[in-house]
Amino acid sequence: MTTFFLGVLLVLAALIGAYLFRVLQGPTIFDRVLGLNGISTKAIIMLIVIGIVFDRVEMFIDISTGYALLNLVGALAVAKYLEQKGLP
Amino acid sequence: MRPVSSQFLFLKTAALFGMWVMLSGRFDLFHLGLGLLLSFLVAWINSGHSPFVPRFQLWGRIFLFLPWLFLRIVQSSLHLTKLILDPRLPIHPRLIRYESKLKEPSAVVLLGNSITLTPGTITAEVNGQVLLVHAMDDVSSEDVTSGRLEAKIAQVFGERDSRA
Amino acid sequence: MEMLAVIFIVAGLFFLIVAAIGVIRLPDVFTRSHAVSLTDSLGAVLLLIGIAIYEGLSLNVLKLFAVLSLLYLQNPVITHATLRAAVRAGLKPWKEKAP
Repeated sequence: MTTFFLGVLLVLAALIGAYLFRVLQGPTIFDRVLGLNGISTKAIIMLIVIGIVFDRVEMFIDISTGYALLNLVGALAVAKYLEQKGLP
Repeated sequence: MRPVSSQFLFLKTAALFGMWVMLSGRFDLFHLGLGLLLSFLVAWINSGHSPFVPRFQLWGRIFLFLPWLFLRIVQSSLHLTKLILDPRLPIHPRLIRYESKLKEPSAVVLLGNSITLTPGTITAEVNGQVLLVHAMDDVSSEDVTSGRLEAKIAQVFGERDSRA
Repeated sequence: MEMLAVIFIVAGLFFLIVAAIGVIRLPDVFTRSHAVSLTDSLGAVLLLIGIAIYEGLSLNVLKLFAVLSLLYLQNPVITHATLRAAVRAGLKPWKEKAP
């Protein structure tokens, strides 16, 4: 079963690569913000799966909760900033 | 400082304490006592600022509305999956101006949130009661344009659907 | 029981992969955000349900559902904020070429 979860982690890492492509290549700044948002969702899921692999789920769920809350504040701040600044 | 409503204080303390117990996961006297003390302190500090009044009946009805929403989410997800995996990429994206009849701001919030949560439609701008919805194609926007979602939410909030 | 968990997790991974394909393939910000919302609303849910089944009944399941409801509350807000900024910045949505 540990092998299966390691495989899940590998797939998630590959998906982060796909989003990273969008962050690096995206034509507008909004594409980059969207890609970062997708990466953070993957990171939340990854943290929980890592917790299962290490058999410390209760700790890693707390970490992922904190990550999700920080991500919310950060994404809203970036969106507000872009809204005032307009398209660069 | 405004007067402190004891009911509000009690509810907020209970909610914070439940959160504490869930996050700490320990049931000895020290942790429970510390959590109770801290949650009461936070609730007391915040009690002067918020005009928030809990409406439990409404929350119950929203909770009953969620399974229907989840069913729609699954259906439109499958539709969107078909669209993305199609090699010809048959999408017809467009912006729809949708004027809602809901009066309460929180009802409009729930409507916008449900629209965004359903894959295939996204609220791009809310201005009072006018929503700007970006839709992937006609099938995914059908729920919004036909007013079915809005009728459901009006039912949740107990508002009469004025177009009926 | 483990078999059921594996089925749920694989289904969730399938939707996550579809969303990643969509993020690369689709033509502009608005359509890409649809793909991202597909990830959040179905892929993550199925994956976390699978993990909850694998974990069995304990306090962790409650925490998992807290994370899930947090995702469900915050992801539409983030998507909406980003798209509103895009609309206000004057970005035009992609249209297909007239035949």
